[in-house]
Amino acid sequence: MLKEMFKLFKKQQKKQSSSVKKLGGEQSDLKEKEFSRHLQENLSILKKLYSVPDNKDIKLRELYLEGFKKQAALLFISTITDVKSVEENILKPLTENTSSTKHVRDVVSVQMVHEISYFKDAVKDINKGNALLVLEGEAWAYVLDCPDFQSRAIEKPDNEILIKGPKEAFNEKAVANISLLRKKIRNENLIVEGIEVSQRSHNDVFVLYIRGLANEKLVTNIKKRLGSLEVNAIQNLSLLEEYIEERNYSIFPSILNTERPDRAASFLEDGYIILLMDNSPDSLVLPATFWSFFHSPEDHYLRIHYGNFTRALRMFALFITLFTSAIYIAITTYHAEMIPPDLLLAIASSREKVPFPAVIEILIMEAAFELIREAGLRVPSPIGPTIGIVGALILGQAAVEANIISPIVIIVVALGGLSSFAVSDLSLNFGVRLIRFLFILSASMIGIYGMTAFFVAGLFYMVSLKSFGVPYLAPLSPSYKSSKDTIFRRLVKNENIRPGFLKPSDSQKKSDGA
Amino acid sequence: MRQFKNLVEFSLLIIIVLSLTGCWDQKELDQKAYVIGIGLDPHEAEGKVKVTYIIANPEVGSQQSGGGTNEPPQETITLAADDFISSRNTANTVISKEISYDLLRVIIVSEKLAKESDFIRWIYSAAKDREIKRSTKLIVTKESAAKFISNNKPKLETRPHKYFEFMIDRGQQTGMIPNTDLNDFFRVTESDADLFLAIYATTEKEESDRSNMSDDDFLAGEIQVEGVTNDAQFIGSAVFKEGIMIGKITGEETRISSLLDDTWDIGDFKTTFKDPFDERFRISARIAKTRANKFEFKQQSGRPVIDIKVPLYIEVLSDPSMINYAKNKEKVNDLKKAMRTKIEDNITKYIKYTQEEFKGDTFHLSIPIRTEFGTLGEFRDFDWMKSYSNAEVNVSVDIRFGEFGRQTKFPKLEEVRD
Repeated sequence: MLKEMFKLFKKQQKKQSSSVKKLGGEQSDLKEKEFSRHLQENLSILKKLYSVPDNKDIKLRELYLEGFKKQAALLFISTITDVKSVEENILKPLTENTSSTKHVRDVVSVQMVHEISYFKDAVKDINKGNALLVLEGEAWAYVLDCPDFQSRAIEKPDNEILIKGPKEAFNEKAVANISLLRKKIRNENLIVEGIEVSQRSHNDVFVLYIRGLANEKLVTNIKKRLGSLEVNAIQNLSLLEEYIEERNYSIFPSILNTERPDRAASFLEDGYIILLMDNSPDSLVLPATFWSFFHSPEDHYLRIHYGNFTRALRMFALFITLFTSAIYIAITTYHAEMIPPDLLLAIASSREKVPFPAVIEILIMEAAFELIREAGLRVPSPIGPTIGIVGALILGQAAVEANIISPIVIIVVALGGLSSFAVSDLSLNFGVRLIRFLFILSASMIGIYGMTAFFVAGLFYMVSLKSFGVPYLAPLSPSYKSSKDTIFRRLVKNENIRPGFLKPSDSQKKSDGA
Repeated sequence: MRQFKNLVEFSLLIIIVLSLTGCWDQKELDQKAYVIGIGLDPHEAEGKVKVTYIIANPEVGSQQSGGGTNEPPQETITLAADDFISSRNTANTVISKEISYDLLRVIIVSEKLAKESDFIRWIYSAAKDREIKRSTKLIVTKESAAKFISNNKPKLETRPHKYFEFMIDRGQQTGMIPNTDLNDFFRVTESDADLFLAIYATTEKEESDRSNMSDDDFLAGEIQVEGVTNDAQFIGSAVFKEGIMIGKITGEETRISSLLDDTWDIGDFKTTFKDPFDERFRISARIAKTRANKFEFKQQSGRPVIDIKVPLYIEVLSDPSMINYAKNKEKVNDLKKAMRTKIEDNITKYIKYTQEEFKGDTFHLSIPIRTEFGTLGEFRDFDWMKSYSNAEVNVSVDIRFGEFGRQTKFPKLEEVRD
């Protein structure tokens, strides 16, 4: 059976690699051209490329430069450039300049000025919010640096909420995100590499790692994987995640998504690799193990016992989510002798008036719970509280009174549902919630035996999983040298080794005695 | 679509396998009738027994609020059957739900059936049935089991499983009934070295003039209780030898047996002794055995000699002769001596009684003796059951006093009677 599965996965991967070489409608032949000495010729190509004047926010400004005694043209996209900067730092100095010996780069007062000679480079830079200056009689153009994309400010994290700890979150601007990380790691070895991953939309992915800590092989592997993508557009990291994941059909996530720069920074310092992208208010951490999904940064911010208490609680909640409904079904249908007599009689009496078998009852309630959850998430915020009240009222009280559901089932499902929120990572949360249904099915068919068999099979699967070459349950199984930050954490001063499964170049984090 | 072909095949495979192996004949909890107790009585016809079921009504008393019902807490039926395994289906001619032994707490056997040589055949079907737990208690009743069940009407614990649970648990804590279950019955019967004690109970009261005896030297039915309460009494034990009932012992004898037995643990053992300083009164005391007994075994000219040392921890609870033991060490020593002779005397008497009457011990004496033999074969050749009756058993009691009750100052009698 497993072989079949493998075949299935392999097939999928092969399909992906069939590539699209030519991009239709991209006017590639025009882009391949070089700039000519004639301004009008250049301008007509640029106009064709940018569909001026159909394209409303493309501004083409033609002017005569007194100082250079030349006809010139300035092209930029007004919505993504800093118009003020264009006026004050480019247009003003150029028009006010009287010296003919000066070069353009000496006149304008913007941060960076490049000279380029191909149209494809010009297009790329203009699309990034820069202005392009073309002069009569020069077979090149100047790219003037003045981008200004709209974005929100740095805000508090919405999903990974902590009580104690920094309150900054990533936003949609990669530059701001990198700045947040640099604020935490002030080291020239923090490398930010940009890789373009799509052909039409030209989305950049920033690969961040600390040189000297991160495993070089892993870095080149990831860069290669990013570079080999042949897609038109990848808008953000959530979409990119699926492109670079190894096992797309796996129920367990293999890349960690975090919106907290402090968390990302601590992963960087351990030798992990971070991916950032414009338009993504989060970062990808790879490789990821089960523990990175299970942990919360607060575990380390709180004092050791408090932190470990929340970890124990979270682990307990994880198992409750997975097992309560399934155990209820298994025990009531197959192992009734396990229940204390009072409870057994109570369940029997409350079930006497209920029309469905226990499995159906549980499935109805689970489905209802998931529905409330999903609907509550999508509902516009003014109606939100209503859904909660209606859901709780109708599904709890009324279902029991109408003898559709027995009261114990409500307790069981509510407990499982509530506990699932303790698993804070969204991906793992979904994984756990789905696996719960599989447990319910196996329990309803073969009781505790079925659950055990399924659990063992699931463990086998988890142990066999790998995320970018790192075993999913490392460093617990297989055992690696590490700081043993798995189910429980140790004192921060004792966590002095970087995780061995990353094969970091420098594994010592602190001196032993520190 | 072709990419899903394997997935479809795979899931079909799973569905087919599971639909063939799944337990589709399972019953929901509410589709079963829960038997709390089984009563067994002899039937006139050979090879048949009368089986009585106590079936709990789950609707009574299980909901905190509302949903009250007028139905009775239990339902009993009696029917003739070949055994109590197949009787389940016969019972379904009357009972609408599938009979389940999941909650079976007690097996009640009438004295008459227990004394039959075929009893062991009936009871061994309990070892065969998967649903019957080995922790089920065995109760022997003086009257027929059916009569016991119909007369047994607890006033407060109307739900039968609660009644039996509490009744037996408490009886075992006080030591009035033996701390044994079905598993012990099978174990003792199969080891064929000791005697088994079953709980003895009855609902038939007996007029007796044994009022001059200590307050626990009674058998079930002999205790005079007045008031509006249940008729059933649980005290004393039925003695089984090789799977057949051969006699019964009183509550006090059951307690003595428990003192000699290291496999039991008595929690709340209160009794009285004659006050050595004033013949008219009796002293209340709580006896506990905090340490294990010590056994010494030797053979003298073919006759086994066993020395048993019983360490006892006694708390004196009353002081009818107003001596105030806490302040009077000499009197404490006298009391200790008096108690020791009394207890040793009682134990020796009881051992003699078992040797002569039952020709076997009721307190698992074979277990410490076993360790004296090199192999199990040697022990079996020795035949403990036979050798016990002419063994010399010496008992010595080692008393350690605990506290002497709350130490309030007693008034001086002369001053009160001034």
